[in-house]
Amino acid sequence: MRKLFIASTVASVLAGTAWLFAQESARPTFRVKVDMVVLNFQVTDNKGRYINGLKHSDFKITEDGILQKMNTFAEGNRAPSLIAEDGTAKPMVINPEEREKGVNADAFVGTNVFVLFDTSNYMYRGFVYASDAIADFIRGLDRADSVAVYTFSRNLSRASSLLKDHSEAIVGLRKAVAGDDAALYNALLLTLRDAAKVPGRKVVIVFSNGPDNASMVAPDDVRTVAEDEGIPIYVISTNDAAKDPVSTSVFKRISTRTGGQVYFAKTWQKQVEAFESIRESLGNSYTITYYPQPNPNEGFRKISVEMLTDVGKKYRLRYRPGYRPQSGF
Amino acid sequence: MRKVLVLFFLGLAQAGFAQQGVTGQVHQLEARGEIAEARTLLENALKQNPNDTGTAAAYAAFLDSHGDAAARAAYSKLVTLESDRSRKQAAARRLVELDLLAGDRTAANRNLQAFRDAGGAGLALGESSASTPGARPTTIVEIPGPLRSFARMAALSPDLSPDDVLGALARNVVTNGYQAASSSEALDQTEYLKLVVKYLSQARELAKLAGESKAIKVETCESTQTGDLLRILGYRMRGGCGSEVVLETVNASRAFLTIDSGFPLAELEQALRSSRPFTYDYAATKVPVLYTPDYWVGPKDKQQGDFIDAFLGDPSLCRLYLALSKLDPISAEELKKALPVQRIKAFSHVLDFFGGMLQLKDGKMPVPGGQRSVAAWAELAGAQPDQGALFIEKLISRDDGWLASYYDSLARITGPSLDYLTEPNRMKRFYNALRGRVTSPGPARPVFRANTELMLLTTRMRVDPDGKPHLPGGVEMWKNLFVHHPHGKYDGKLTKAASGWKDADDVIEALFGLCRKAVENEPLKIYMALTDLNRRRPKPLETATADRLAREFRTYGSQYAIFAEVPSLSDKTILQYLEVAASVLQIRDQALRANTAGTLQSLVGLWQIFHRQGSIPADDADGTLSALLTSFAKVKNHRELFDLGRSGVELVLKATGAPTNVNPHDRLLDLLAGTATPGDPDAHRQLVQDMIRIYELQRLPSLKLLFDVSDHLDAIAKGEKMNPALVNRLATRISEIQVPRAAMTTVEKNSMAFGYWTEKHIDQQRKLNIRSQVEKAGADPEKLKDIRSHLAPMLRDALLGLNYVHYAPPGAQILQTNPIFVRSHDFLGLQGASQTWKNTEVFGTGWPSSAGGRLVGSLSSLPYALAEAEQNFLIPSREQALIWGDLVPQMIVMAKVPRWWNVTPSQLQWVGLHMRAGESLLAQAAIDASIRKPVLDSLDRRAVPNRVRRIESLLAASDVRGALEQTTPSELFLLAADLAGPGKQGAGVLGQEIQRVAAAQPEKVNYTAISRAFGTPKPTLAHSYYPELLNLRTFPTLMGYSSRIMAESWESNLLYYAALAAELQVSPSQLNVLIPEWTQKTVERIFATHLEDWPALLRSLRTVGADARRQARGGSEAKTLE
Repeated sequence: MRKLFIASTVASVLAGTAWLFAQESARPTFRVKVDMVVLNFQVTDNKGRYINGLKHSDFKITEDGILQKMNTFAEGNRAPSLIAEDGTAKPMVINPEEREKGVNADAFVGTNVFVLFDTSNYMYRGFVYASDAIADFIRGLDRADSVAVYTFSRNLSRASSLLKDHSEAIVGLRKAVAGDDAALYNALLLTLRDAAKVPGRKVVIVFSNGPDNASMVAPDDVRTVAEDEGIPIYVISTNDAAKDPVSTSVFKRISTRTGGQVYFAKTWQKQVEAFESIRESLGNSYTITYYPQPNPNEGFRKISVEMLTDVGKKYRLRYRPGYRPQSGF
Repeated sequence: MRKVLVLFFLGLAQAGFAQQGVTGQVHQLEARGEIAEARTLLENALKQNPNDTGTAAAYAAFLDSHGDAAARAAYSKLVTLESDRSRKQAAARRLVELDLLAGDRTAANRNLQAFRDAGGAGLALGESSASTPGARPTTIVEIPGPLRSFARMAALSPDLSPDDVLGALARNVVTNGYQAASSSEALDQTEYLKLVVKYLSQARELAKLAGESKAIKVETCESTQTGDLLRILGYRMRGGCGSEVVLETVNASRAFLTIDSGFPLAELEQALRSSRPFTYDYAATKVPVLYTPDYWVGPKDKQQGDFIDAFLGDPSLCRLYLALSKLDPISAEELKKALPVQRIKAFSHVLDFFGGMLQLKDGKMPVPGGQRSVAAWAELAGAQPDQGALFIEKLISRDDGWLASYYDSLARITGPSLDYLTEPNRMKRFYNALRGRVTSPGPARPVFRANTELMLLTTRMRVDPDGKPHLPGGVEMWKNLFVHHPHGKYDGKLTKAASGWKDADDVIEALFGLCRKAVENEPLKIYMALTDLNRRRPKPLETATADRLAREFRTYGSQYAIFAEVPSLSDKTILQYLEVAASVLQIRDQALRANTAGTLQSLVGLWQIFHRQGSIPADDADGTLSALLTSFAKVKNHRELFDLGRSGVELVLKATGAPTNVNPHDRLLDLLAGTATPGDPDAHRQLVQDMIRIYELQRLPSLKLLFDVSDHLDAIAKGEKMNPALVNRLATRISEIQVPRAAMTTVEKNSMAFGYWTEKHIDQQRKLNIRSQVEKAGADPEKLKDIRSHLAPMLRDALLGLNYVHYAPPGAQILQTNPIFVRSHDFLGLQGASQTWKNTEVFGTGWPSSAGGRLVGSLSSLPYALAEAEQNFLIPSREQALIWGDLVPQMIVMAKVPRWWNVTPSQLQWVGLHMRAGESLLAQAAIDASIRKPVLDSLDRRAVPNRVRRIESLLAASDVRGALEQTTPSELFLLAADLAGPGKQGAGVLGQEIQRVAAAQPEKVNYTAISRAFGTPKPTLAHSYYPELLNLRTFPTLMGYSSRIMAESWESNLLYYAALAAELQVSPSQLNVLIPEWTQKTVERIFATHLEDWPALLRSLRTVGADARRQARGGSEAKTLE
């Protein structure tokens, strides 16, 4: 049982359920695949304070109303526990086969943080202050977290790849070059594609002024990718919400629908506060994984997380509303 | 020296005779692409007879011809073994060449001695390039701070050599450094230049801090230097010294310069935190300046600062520097001697754009057209070409650049067109037409060269065997066109003059006259499109056809690329195409019009692809298209459209020889991947799976499903019961169409641009409920058949999707992310601007104006539009890169349009041999002065004089690797063709191998076949996606096209990849997978400074090649270990 769990957790390619697409071809290989679902969420009280110390048994997960069986449960940056058939939690262990492939238990501890920094002409004036704020944020990340710094203008640039070594990320950040058009949603898509390849919990933090004058993909198509991959998007906008209603509404949409948050932080101080809030959110998140129960729905599957305790019913839970199962050969 | 080479060949021939059995087997294996087996065979033969010189020579020659690095060791052994002096000489000589190609000068010296010891003479290694004609006198000037930082600030490629820094900087200053001031005629510095100037100021402060040691040193966090350094950098410490210290901005403008110039701030912070000393070398950058600083900067300017300050402060000085650095060094020197700097400066814009082809020889200017045209040039310029610098002065100062641009255009061409255009009277006549009465503004005034049409006309005009220019449709047609122009007068004077035209010269004169116009030069475009259309046709277009095409150009001109690609199309079918296209435009119902256009164009697109790939035989192409068009002549409704679309699919499949009972969808995918019978199933499967993946992500129904549902409706009409499973399959697919726009705010929706019909097209599909339609229809057969009309828009999308997936660029992020990208294709365009038959265009960029991205127009330029939309998803591998907007799509097009299923191993081998022979000829020219001249003459035909002189200079110094860096792969290929191709004797053992392969498979390895196999599509330059090699000089950037035409004239990529594949012993079918991958990597590694920086592309190409070699070596090493 354990072996099966770990292999599937790590590779995250095992099809839990598969349906043949309705393409009556001689090549019936393209299928709907439902990989393990990773669900991050936060629990707060009515004053917005994070609630910690909850157990897996406090929650009930349903997908399209179908009760799901939890696979792992983790709080904050702690190592996840494996939830056995009888409902007991045990520490997760990587089998030797997977370790040989370069996967270790560390991959499931901490968060993989992808910072996407807008270095386009729109950010020209606040560029250095933004760089300082991001550097501060990286310095303050938990040791268990890995961080990558990507920058973008017309193209994406991988300033620093995903590393546990936070100082390397700052070196990459400080090498950013400013200027050119802004293709925010193109860059966000590419960042999500990179993040999706990484096992474990991950988030994307966008630091941008907002306007996009060079993308070829729509924000909602990009948001769908984040939803399906289970990657929350946090956005720190350096613009006034009122001054750019288009970016404001898009930012709100892509963050809330993916389980992230948006911050409008024009000043350096506000930006630091926003990063502090994100850091707090990451540290106070719960992460659950599960393999979906058989479900004929090949479209959007609605996720619901409920607290089972009476006290818990008063709490607020923030998580992504659902996802679409992926397809592949 | 030739004698020695011949003796060596004879020696090999004798050795081959002795080992005839082995040699024959080796050649057979090579022809099958089994290179490793061939090598093993020779290795075993050598093991059996280790001292046999014949076998050793054959082995060395084999390794040499396959670019194997072990060739040097094999030749080395041969030199030791060989007792025959002449053969020993030949082997030692080849070894010297290989040493120089490997950059090993020490070994080259040693082996040169071995050559001499064996009695050889006549070879020498050059020592210095300073005294050669290509060498330019330079003086060193300093720029404060490291080159890396300056390059970042000045937007220069980090890979530039110091020699090229000032030239590149001058170009950036000219193009981006200044802008018109709003209040006066003066020029203001742009933000770009202001930052460079500010950076220099900061760099000087840092240099002062670094002091004599030229290194910035901070011993500890508390030292006084820390404060000084941080003040200059614009930062301060937060928190006390120790592990908590953080650097934060205190002066934003200084801090910006610090970060943007790449100062190692993070390293400084780390050092401060860990109480380690921080040291950063801060020596000034030394760069060569042409001649001396005094030549460029007057005494007055000198007082204002360093050379670099004066340089940045004067855009006209930068233009002059740029012009002279691009000019042939001898001509530049002569001009410099003859004219005061202010005089040259006045015309530096002309010299910059049109001076590149000027080349004085012995103080005289060899003019285009040769001796016959000397007097005409003298008359036009007002000075004799023999007067050298004076002629140049007159040429550039005559008429604001028109004469210079005329000279430049003619100097770039060769052959019958040049002979025709430089006939003295004609030359003068055409010049006068080009120049016009009012010469200002000249073609060198704008930011880009404004002689685009002139260059295209002179390069692409065709001269028939009778020496007269090819005139599609004849003189009368052109007279008629100008007199009875279809869309208003082209040009009043030309209209008046046209009635008197008698021959082709009159028409060409008019076209030259139109070249000066930036707009309304449609006849010129018509001429070039029709000329290209006729280029490969066995019989030129009939006059009536040409006339119709000319008149309809504005509406259907973009479709002519289809006709040009299929030369077997009859005039009748071409006219039929226009008729059907017109009938589509007459459909009043917009949805039916869009769907009819989409269905027809998608079917034509498939037909075009299958013809290109050889799946539809050339003889059947015309009949198939004609039959397709006949059925679409008058489409009345959607029900009929569905039936026509379906029969169109059957027709196209039948033309490919597909069996009648085949699954149409699967068969089309197989064919789109390149062939229905792949020799390499793995590569084919990979391509098919890539296409299926994208098709599925677009949630498109398969053709089979649509046809099955249609058949089922017929069956229901005949009384059969409804098959809910089948209907549900289609319903499920429709339900997967998601329109994310529902979530958008009103502001966003209002900001989105047009797309009403596209939205409606998608909405109608989403609302379709087949089951309910069937139930409503009851038992009425006609109503049941009518349900097919709802399938027509889906059939359009399915067929369109097949076209999209075939051309999907590497990565295909848009197609993978936007599930309605295919369905959003807009065949109508903005109201009032019918784009149904116009070029495919990418609509808008940026959210929300792009409305999520879509393509508009016909499918005629779908490959380019898809590549253009996708290009910004490629990720540069370094932090600063200029990826050219028009170059990258063309690079993607050349990797996606051709397929290489029909390429043979011997064709790969042939290209590889040519590339290595070209390199060897350069190496020979580096040690043998007698070979240098023919090599340089060959390069002169393709490269600009300045570069040829630079290569000459490097060869004189025996710097072969330096010379190679200056030579493009296509130039190397053509150098080998000129001197070592069939019937030639150059390049030693490689030339001999070229002759052998050519003789063995003449139908496969000839320049026409190679042109088809490794040529590139040139939709702008040749009005066709037919892949071919035109062997042109690389074009500069041009007004209206930016670097697009330059990219189309760049033919090196595929030749380079082919040679790389040959070297890595990759099977030709693997190219279908590898070339798109290599292209993506090449794009991601381009670090260019400006739009004409093709050396940056060349560097990237070679880096990708080096990586592929490393990877292959790693693989083979791993294999050996196993």
